[in-house]
Amino acid sequence: MRKKLTAAGFVAAPFALIFFSLFIGRYPLSINEVISVLGAKSGFSGFAPLPIQVNVVWDIRLPRAILGAFVGGSLAVSGAAFQGIFRNPLVSSGVLGVSAGAGFGASLAIILFGGDTFYVYAFAFLFGIVAVILSYVIGTNYTSTPTIMLVLGGVVVSSIFSSLVSLLKYIADPYEQLPSIVFWLMGSMASARFRDIAISAVPMWVGITGLVAMRWRLNILSMDDREAQALGVNIAFVKGLAILFATLATAGAVCVSGVIGWVGLVVPHMGRMLVGNDNTVLVPVSLSIGAGYLILVDNVARTLTGSEIPLGILTSIIGAPFFVYLLKKTKGRGW
Amino acid sequence: MSLIDVKKAFFSYGNRTVLENIDLRVNKGEILCLFGPNGCGKTTLIQCLLGILKPSCGSIRLRGRDIRSMKPVEIARELAYIPQVHEKPFPYRVIDVVLMGRVSYTGLFSLPKKQDVRIAEEALDKVGMLAFKDRPYTQISGGETQLVMVARALTQQTPVLVMDEPTAHLDFRNELNFLETIVNLVKDTKITVVMATHFPNHAFYFENSGIRSGVAMMNDSMFYARGRPGEVLTEHNMYSIFKIKSKLVSHEWEGGRIRQILPLKTYGQHS
Repeated sequence: MRKKLTAAGFVAAPFALIFFSLFIGRYPLSINEVISVLGAKSGFSGFAPLPIQVNVVWDIRLPRAILGAFVGGSLAVSGAAFQGIFRNPLVSSGVLGVSAGAGFGASLAIILFGGDTFYVYAFAFLFGIVAVILSYVIGTNYTSTPTIMLVLGGVVVSSIFSSLVSLLKYIADPYEQLPSIVFWLMGSMASARFRDIAISAVPMWVGITGLVAMRWRLNILSMDDREAQALGVNIAFVKGLAILFATLATAGAVCVSGVIGWVGLVVPHMGRMLVGNDNTVLVPVSLSIGAGYLILVDNVARTLTGSEIPLGILTSIIGAPFFVYLLKKTKGRGW
Repeated sequence: MSLIDVKKAFFSYGNRTVLENIDLRVNKGEILCLFGPNGCGKTTLIQCLLGILKPSCGSIRLRGRDIRSMKPVEIARELAYIPQVHEKPFPYRVIDVVLMGRVSYTGLFSLPKKQDVRIAEEALDKVGMLAFKDRPYTQISGGETQLVMVARALTQQTPVLVMDEPTAHLDFRNELNFLETIVNLVKDTKITVVMATHFPNHAFYFENSGIRSGVAMMNDSMFYARGRPGEVLTEHNMYSIFKIKSKLVSHEWEGGRIRQILPLKTYGQHS
């Protein structure tokens, strides 16, 4: 019974936080006004919200909250998956270079096309994927893909793309392009509209769903390769599939939100402390915590000061105290 | 039909031949000890049996089926593997680790079912580890970990257990406890065991427990001698392979008669 209640809590939390976000911001709204906007937009008659209320709730706060849930969930789930695949609790969702590659793609688009969001998304997504493919090719020898080689491949590819980003910053126009690049790299969801969600949610949805569905296999992938094969798993195929899903989720997230650190590394560990390491439980819980956490942080980002604070700055500043609290309370749970 | 049938198997890493003309048959209910010095090819042979390495020529058949035509999931229903050391990547609970043995019976996008949990608990019970099921397995000892590995292997419900020096890192008591557990399993369930070991006395222990035991003595990629422990583990053979002087002794106690081989001294340079 208690287990079921906890599970229900983890499922409900992100939805509750999305709803809660609709009230947060400079323009004050009462519960009746929010419900009237949601009612009118859902096609029910008898609701007559003001246009500005519709604009604030439906065009700004709701898409940001939903996108935050998707992005946070994607980063956390793929982080948990990569930690399992690489048998390494210290890797994050960017381990195979997807963040660095996306950063390069976005910077390139900003310089070539002056920051048209469509090109920024497309280039960030494509180069994120390209980076992972490069890491995978580097890390694969003729028979298998040893995890150390893959991680090394990721390190090499990430550093190449980071250097290329520095190069682009160096040649970028310092008044227009350079600030755009710097802000993009710090992460933000300020540009979130439903159109953006519709585009980027597809890879995120596929990635998250895939990883949640195959989450028990992640336990087995975290065993030594020989053992996992002797248990009856086709390692190359299953590992490749998990990497594909994790990459889709991360690339989808990074291309709309920019580089957001911390979530893909630490949120899975919060999950480990709360519910243990079994991926059948950990993956859904990471999804919930990651989604809820990024909604919260984004609310802070858009309300704390008059202008937006980049998300990448806040994720760790807000999360660190909570992480330390969990660490002290659970004593790390078995590590 | 033999459970395992290896015919004229060869294997090499690049130019270095590791297995040469290996013929091996393993029948139901027996314990076969693969015995021989470091680097003689035991682990390579085990990995070939498990389908992890592919012999360059020759054939391996599991219950009559050519291993080359079998997928990992099919091999995992014939042979269950117990490694020498198990690396613990995350503090999983003991029961979660044992459940992993059920993966060959579970679809890619499925979770283990209630019945799988029951099978895992039974397996833990058989090795005497049921009380540990909810403990993080990073907090149990090396001896307990090997028993958990046996339980995991049992959930695969295979006719054969394959072990690679499973007691190499265990203390005196845990080693004996491990051997006793295996003997009980063989007696109760008629499971077959292939075990690589560095200790000739393991083979004697199994023989003395009244189980049909065989020894395949390996040296330099080949089988040097095959047969019952008493036929193979002789003072002469120990000298030929290890260049050591040893003494075969026999001791009578209330549990029966136990034979052991005592290492006495080394001769010259080990080749």
